[in-house]
Amino acid sequence: MRAAPASLDPATPDAAPLTSLVFETLVRVDEAGAPQPCLALSWQHDATAKRWQFNLRPGTKLHDGSGLTAATVVAALEAALPGVTISATAAAGNVDAVIIRANHPMPDLLLDLAHNGWLDTGPFRQTAFEPGQRAEFAANDDYWGGRPFLDAINVQFGRGLRDQLADLELGKADVVEAGPADLHRASSHGRTIWSSAAVSLVALAFNPAPDARPREALALSIDRAAMHAVLLQKQGEPTAALLPQWISGYAFLFPTAQDLPRARTLANDLPPAARALTLTYDPAMRAARPLAERVAVNARDAGINVQVSPQNPHADVRLVEVRLASLDPEHALAALAAALGLPAPAGSGSAAALYESERKLLEDFRAVPLFQLPVLYAASSRVRVYTGPPVTRLGDWRFENLWLSGTAP
Amino acid sequence: MTFRTRLLIAFALTVIVAVAFVGAIVSTTTTRAFGRLDEQRASALAAQFHQEYLRRQREIAQHVKDIADAESTRDMVIALSHPDADASTYVDAAQPLAAAHNLDFLELVSATGSIVSSAQWSARFLYQEDWVKQRDDWNSQEPFLKREELPTDTALALVAVRVSIVGDSKLYVIGGEALDRDFLSSFVLPAGMRALLFREPQSIVGAAGPVPQTAALAPLIDDLRKQRREVTRTIQWTADAASAETFHAIPLIGPSDELMGAFLVGSSRAALVGLERFLLRVEILVATGGILLALLVAFWTTARITRPVEALAAGARAVAAGDWRTQVDVHASGEIGALAAAFNQMTRDLLEQRDRLVQAERVAAWRELARRLAHELKNPLFPLQITVENLQRARAAHPAEFDEVFRESTATLLAELGKLRGIVGRFSDFAKMPQPQLETVDLNNLVRESLKLFEAQMQATGVTLHLDLAAGLRAIQADPGQLGRALQNLALNAIDAMPNGGALTIRTAAHEDGVRLEVSDTGQGLTEEECDRLFTPYYTTKTHGTGLGLAIVQSVISDHGGKIGVRSEPGKGATFLIDLA
Repeated sequence: MRAAPASLDPATPDAAPLTSLVFETLVRVDEAGAPQPCLALSWQHDATAKRWQFNLRPGTKLHDGSGLTAATVVAALEAALPGVTISATAAAGNVDAVIIRANHPMPDLLLDLAHNGWLDTGPFRQTAFEPGQRAEFAANDDYWGGRPFLDAINVQFGRGLRDQLADLELGKADVVEAGPADLHRASSHGRTIWSSAAVSLVALAFNPAPDARPREALALSIDRAAMHAVLLQKQGEPTAALLPQWISGYAFLFPTAQDLPRARTLANDLPPAARALTLTYDPAMRAARPLAERVAVNARDAGINVQVSPQNPHADVRLVEVRLASLDPEHALAALAAALGLPAPAGSGSAAALYESERKLLEDFRAVPLFQLPVLYAASSRVRVYTGPPVTRLGDWRFENLWLSGTAP
Repeated sequence: MTFRTRLLIAFALTVIVAVAFVGAIVSTTTTRAFGRLDEQRASALAAQFHQEYLRRQREIAQHVKDIADAESTRDMVIALSHPDADASTYVDAAQPLAAAHNLDFLELVSATGSIVSSAQWSARFLYQEDWVKQRDDWNSQEPFLKREELPTDTALALVAVRVSIVGDSKLYVIGGEALDRDFLSSFVLPAGMRALLFREPQSIVGAAGPVPQTAALAPLIDDLRKQRREVTRTIQWTADAASAETFHAIPLIGPSDELMGAFLVGSSRAALVGLERFLLRVEILVATGGILLALLVAFWTTARITRPVEALAAGARAVAAGDWRTQVDVHASGEIGALAAAFNQMTRDLLEQRDRLVQAERVAAWRELARRLAHELKNPLFPLQITVENLQRARAAHPAEFDEVFRESTATLLAELGKLRGIVGRFSDFAKMPQPQLETVDLNNLVRESLKLFEAQMQATGVTLHLDLAAGLRAIQADPGQLGRALQNLALNAIDAMPNGGALTIRTAAHEDGVRLEVSDTGQGLTEEECDRLFTPYYTTKTHGTGLGLAIVQSVISDHGGKIGVRSEPGKGATFLIDLA
């Protein structure tokens, strides 16, 4: 993988794909975005959604061999859910249960619980970890869903996409991350491509400057369709919104079409110094260099000179990729705004209010969304999927569903 | 300036001119030789450029054709011919192809003119290259010059277009090489020469990179733009002439006959300037040595030549100073020896002639003196004879009246004897002229005082006196008695020259370092001969007088260190000019 996490703490963003191997939560979200039982086998809430009771899955064991108890869950949740009261109780049938109470309704509590209160009950146990280098995992024989087919997983950190593809082709790896440009090559020779939903926002983030015209001119000059068709191999979708369409439902309202005449008009009104921008990118980011160079080419057509250089801390514009942090639109928007250096969006209670918040975030072009991309993986031909998707919509690994050909599933 | 100095200068100038002449010939010959060598080298490099250019044209055409004919390219044509073809699959196809065929630029362009893949600017996919659709005979076209836009620059490229055709489908393959530093590095350059590449509008690169101070090349570029043919111009980069470079520029013309750049062959003039400076130093050294040698030789030679000449000149000056006995002691042969002998003979002849002349003048003077004495003495002698004869006749014929006659006759005799004594006195005075006793004298006052004596005489004879005396005239050192008598003598002569009246004008004025006194009359004037003889003792134009007056005046003026002259014409009066220090 490209990331090089320093720890397996689920709060560490770089550790996200690995988290699902080791850790689990009370609830998980399925492919449709609906909450599904995980460590909590069932749950109930009152009419006001102020009191929730989660009945724990019996027989679940932590990786240290101890049984999962309500007290353990309460300890994990208390740090993650401030402002609520969490207590352990016993439900019918002598099943441990966790009570969560608050003074306000908690309609989105299930989504919150899908990303909080991690417990090491996952299908794999961590057996080795070298920060930034590698990690090893072994099958959890006591996993409540049954022992995984794979005996062990070795993960190499900090490998570029090209190197990962080479590892795959050389048989040194069974599953690698893939970039859109590598799809054609990666999918040859019987290899399989796994894709998440469009959960990764590619955008331009501008340094603060009072004059929005250069930003607007640059935003209007960008031909997203050509980039999407060629550089991204039609993966994901062009967007001018922060949240993907499949979450917000209104992303289509933000126009993505190139408007070169308008961009030229804006650029012509700028002083010469304002028509020169520097654009930087992280070379580890998928398709970063060609995307940045294409932005520069489009900008040139509008009369804006964009100099592209990687890892330039003084650049006027950054090409960034930000992973969706939550399936909750409001939380996801706030996280995206924070990642892009935008002000925190106003609280919302409806789709219309959320749209207005997002529109306000984007109206001065401090951030220019370009694409919503899926997370892509390529798997060797000997990797088989027994049941269920190997990667969730959010890109989490479900490697307990995998087995290798030549071994009995 | 002495003859010797002139001779020395002539020698030195001869040496300098000779050295300069030889130096100029050597410099000119050297410069021409260098120029010819430069032209030959520039021509050779230009020929090398043309050959390399043609070679690259052929090479590029072949590489692009190879790509267009390649099976993979034909597969691409077929794949792209499908209605739902995904051109994005080939977006990175150009770069490896360009690298494999050593091309700097390669673009694969669809039949619609849309860029499928660009090696030099991969981000320009799907951009239109419509110019490529404007002709169908690309496969028979030679490579041409094209301005190729790059992400951060514009390059000058030699480009070929070939078309890969499969059935009704086609793909344009546009490939080429940059005319840049690498291109220039392929040339073998002699020492002192370099090759540059000018690319419109103002980029100039050499094999080592961009050329600084390109402003100096602007006139050459302007010439290229105007003339659009090969031009040569010398560029001086700094104030030092050694920095100059002669550039031969070969224009690079694009397909639309526009100037797209130029190949510049620069030939440093440092070696030539260095040689010229060396020659100049040698010339200066030779000239300086030559001048010194010439001076030594000239000094010795001129000494031999000018010593007799200087002796002759000294002899001539001695003769001019009155030493007619001068003889030059010159032992020379040839013309100088003959000249010295002639000089000595001349002084001997002059001395003899002067002696003869003095003797003749003495004789003439004595004759004139005798004539004058006879004339002067004859006048009173005749009355004396008549009176004595009257006395004798009266005693014999009229004894009674003898006493009366005797008294009258003795009175007459005494009068005439008095005249004789006066004549003798004047002659005596002339012989005994005393030296002047100098004192400070105001000449204007002296003039006024001296002329008072003649007021009655002038009034009686109708002569009008005009005094034109300069105010502020400086005082002079003079003997007032002698100078006054001289002035009176001149005034008396003037009055005598105007028996029927006229105007006597006395004028004083500052003159050179002294003063001038003019005495003018309006009498009958003098002839030229009279003017010449006027100051000769005992010469007179009057019927009475001794002829000593003007001689005495000249003697007085000479004793005062002055000089006297006369200016006159017959009928126009006379003016005596006296200059005193």
